[in-house]
Amino acid sequence: MSMGLDSLKHVVVLMMENRSFDHMLGSLKADDSRINGLTGNESNPDTTNEPATVQPLAEFQSQLDPDPNHDFADVNQQLFLGTPGPPAVASMQGFVQNYFQVQKDVDHSRKIMYYFTKDKLPVLTTLASSFAVFNGWFSSIPGPTICNRAFAHYGTSFGKVTMDPFDVVEPYVSIYERLLLDNHTAKLYYFDQASSTMEVVNLLKNQPQIFATYDEFLEDCKAGTLPDYSFVEPNYSDHSGDDGAEELASDQHPDHDVQAGEIYIASVYNAIHENPALWASTALLIVYDEHGGIFDHVPPPSCTPDGFVAPATDTGIGQPFAFDRLGVRVPAILVSPWVAKATVVPGPEDPVNGRIFEHASIPGTVTKFFIGDYDNRSPREKAAATFLDLLGDQQRPDSDCPVFNLD
Amino acid sequence: MSTPANVIHVPRPSRSSFNPNRPLTGNLLLQEQIKHFHRLEKELPEEQQTGIPFESITTEGEASAYVRKLTAVLHPQGARKEKVRKAT
Repeated sequence: MSMGLDSLKHVVVLMMENRSFDHMLGSLKADDSRINGLTGNESNPDTTNEPATVQPLAEFQSQLDPDPNHDFADVNQQLFLGTPGPPAVASMQGFVQNYFQVQKDVDHSRKIMYYFTKDKLPVLTTLASSFAVFNGWFSSIPGPTICNRAFAHYGTSFGKVTMDPFDVVEPYVSIYERLLLDNHTAKLYYFDQASSTMEVVNLLKNQPQIFATYDEFLEDCKAGTLPDYSFVEPNYSDHSGDDGAEELASDQHPDHDVQAGEIYIASVYNAIHENPALWASTALLIVYDEHGGIFDHVPPPSCTPDGFVAPATDTGIGQPFAFDRLGVRVPAILVSPWVAKATVVPGPEDPVNGRIFEHASIPGTVTKFFIGDYDNRSPREKAAATFLDLLGDQQRPDSDCPVFNLD
Repeated sequence: MSTPANVIHVPRPSRSSFNPNRPLTGNLLLQEQIKHFHRLEKELPEEQQTGIPFESITTEGEASAYVRKLTAVLHPQGARKEKVRKAT
């Protein structure tokens, strides 16, 4: 066991909303060729069959409004345009034509190819460059939020590919229940009561005791009372707080302000970093639930089937889905002083050393570290790659780690 | 120890970004979140229901007010005790 693993006491996961890897981090390839971002030549045909090339023109707000479609059938078009469809390798050519459907405006549809320059996202790009960035972290399902977040909580979506509530199927239980039953501690922190959680029908309804607020997360970090495992949710809506303050949505879901999400990510990082004992004993994973209909150039790979099958009536593509391939690639960054500086975890671009991660990697990793052998897990979670081996033997000095000034 | 070289200044969003009147039709996620809460509300005792007609929720601000009321029922411990952070 490495010294980093030996020191580890807390795992924190911050899951943001609806942005693809290339959209947020694709620009980093220009600085570090190991990062599987954009060359600048990637394109999709628009509805007039003219190529729409990726452009470094992404803005914080007002560009992706209305929300790009990303239900299962929409993602199927985004992935497989110009091919016979699955199981063919995805072409990644259908993002622009799919986005055209929401406004019927060719110029607007081309904005789905826009990506952020590094200077616009100082928090995310600094963390990616300073710690470990994953070239091959994919959403668990080529579909929307709720079923993808289910994989982070349960290691499966119980056969769902939609936004509908799902029923938990025995013997599987959430990562929180597993930990509590094994005498560990776990909390799911939502931003505030007005934002709440996306795990409403099962966890909030049946196990409210595992929930806490973002304010309590900050207090727990300061007091050194963070549980073994923490899952942090962003603010999902613009609303007035209890004290009348303007609470800006920080989830980065289109059309919410991406800069507000940058501040939120930095605040979670700072809260851990400012407590030296906590910083030395915590691994923070920052990851996005799915791509939100936004372009990425890497075809999602196949994966171990989940044991469930979504019927054709749910997929909307005339075929059932066996959960045997992943969704679109998303940003994922592992932060810890025990991670070697500028680590790039290779993905499918490296057929020898590449590793594939998905959201089932979250409960898979947490279970392996805190519980050890545990059988009642989905086939997908059992097969999912884990990520704590990225913690090594050298603790980096604080002068080698970023500090975010939010004043 | 932080040095000037590793301190990153993070710009704040424009104040004009805040828009609780943004129509829910532009955010598929919030639409679904309130559907989940609505399903759950129907299972609650009448005295714990919000009395808010579901169809009347058309903006982010209205959705968050609805979500706040139901979360307060399900997780009253989440009421803010004191301000420990700066607004984002």
